[in-house]
Amino acid sequence: MKPPLLKLTNVNSYYGKIRALNNVNLEINEGEIVTLLGSNGAGKSTTLKTISGIIKPKSGEIEWNGQNLVNVPPHRIVESGIIHVPEGRRIFGGLTITENLELGAYTFRKNKKWIKEGIERAFDLFPRLKERSKQIAGTLSGGEQQMLAISRGLMGNPKLLMLDEPSMGLAPIIVQEIMHNIQEINKQGTTILLIEQNAKAALRLANRGYLIEIGNIIMHDSAEVLREDDRIIRAYLGA
Amino acid sequence: MGIFLQILIDGLVIGAFYSLIALGYTMVYGIIKLLNFAHGDLYMIGAFIGFTLLSFITGDGGLNTSVLGIGMIFVITMILVGFVGMGVERIAYRPLLLAPRLSILITALGVSLSLQYTSMNVWGASYKVYPISLPKNGFEIIGAHISYSQIGMILLSALLMLGLRLFIDKTIYGKAMRAIALDQTACSLMGINVYRIISLTFFIGAFLAAGAGIMSGIYYGTVNFMMGFIIGLKAFTAAVLGGIGNITGAMLGGFVLGILEAYGTFYLGGSWKDVLAFGILILFLVFKPTGILGAKEMERM
Repeated sequence: MKPPLLKLTNVNSYYGKIRALNNVNLEINEGEIVTLLGSNGAGKSTTLKTISGIIKPKSGEIEWNGQNLVNVPPHRIVESGIIHVPEGRRIFGGLTITENLELGAYTFRKNKKWIKEGIERAFDLFPRLKERSKQIAGTLSGGEQQMLAISRGLMGNPKLLMLDEPSMGLAPIIVQEIMHNIQEINKQGTTILLIEQNAKAALRLANRGYLIEIGNIIMHDSAEVLREDDRIIRAYLGA
Repeated sequence: MGIFLQILIDGLVIGAFYSLIALGYTMVYGIIKLLNFAHGDLYMIGAFIGFTLLSFITGDGGLNTSVLGIGMIFVITMILVGFVGMGVERIAYRPLLLAPRLSILITALGVSLSLQYTSMNVWGASYKVYPISLPKNGFEIIGAHISYSQIGMILLSALLMLGLRLFIDKTIYGKAMRAIALDQTACSLMGINVYRIISLTFFIGAFLAAGAGIMSGIYYGTVNFMMGFIIGLKAFTAAVLGGIGNITGAMLGGFVLGILEAYGTFYLGGSWKDVLAFGILILFLVFKPTGILGAKEMERM
């Protein structure tokens, strides 16, 4: 079997003195959609931030394609092919849609052709963005901002795309559209790590899932098994 | 009528200096929310490096220096001071970027004093006479005498500002600067090396200030190690006037302040010049702290 694309071994992360991740072990294989489930404050976002280098782990190993990622600055991690679409979208509200996309391709800034094609691809995936390409991104609706955030992430040509609650605060119909697009992105060859509160939607999409509680991974299994699990049903899927 | 135009042109020249310095203030504030009180001293360093280089080529202080030579010295000085600006950021500010804002503000005052007294040790404490002076020829229009060099300085400043505007609007690095002003973390997640862009911002700010430094050395004829202090505060006033953090605002604020000061000096007397400028600053801070073009703060979720 091929070694996993990304492997976290006994990772511990802290906010000051508070331990947010407690010996987290996690693996992602190439081509998968993996979902990380858990309630607010369980450590889902912290896991992503630790992988993308915004938070430095106190101990543990993060291995990516055989390379160590601990203490590598965030922009280098992006260059190596891991892209993190953060919680709350974090688009650049004062810049236009096109400028946001161009910045997403910052690591390809010398490659004008890539930028042009990437913008076209983004507009194919989310046609609504095309109509608003010259508009200031802050004027977009929540759903459109999420679409922009995902497209901006794709502009960096990720091998692994990490999405932090892409459905947050969006109408169910938009959530469906976005979930469908995530699947589409995966089919085109991008591995995905998905954080979701909406466990039902996430488990429908994912191959495997991890359940995290107060900084500990308490379960991991295939999505089919997790869908049937009592604890998950009670806590996240509704009885 | 003639005197009115004369004052306007004088005001525009001084305003151009203010604008060029205010741009550095406003860019640094925009990107890391620091009021870089050492910025006026970079203008002073520019004036002195220009002084030394010009002394080399003029030798006896004659006027036979070629325009090309002077142009080269402008470019070299601006680049050198740009690196000084980057050095200041690297040594003094970067270690404090995550510290409380007050620490970095106090550090800026320390940097300002360091630059001033380094300059005093290198070039001395007395006023230095600039090695080249301006040709006085120009033309008369409705009774006002406007020299070609005044026009040249206004044009050169305008050109630099236009260049900056294009850089900020059109290049990926300019876009990255605007993005960092909005959200630094999101920028690192795009693969942007945030420190490098901050460094670039300091380079550009210092580069422009140095340009203003040499021009004012030539315009006023003398330079002194304290010359950056008051003009730094004036440029800060200009930046606030235009709306701090706003590039076009800084340009506008500089010219507005220069012109108001020129008319104020004429009608109220030279001793009221600084009172007028800082009076305007106080009025703006009280009644319109966001400045003429001040952007409304973008609310972040």
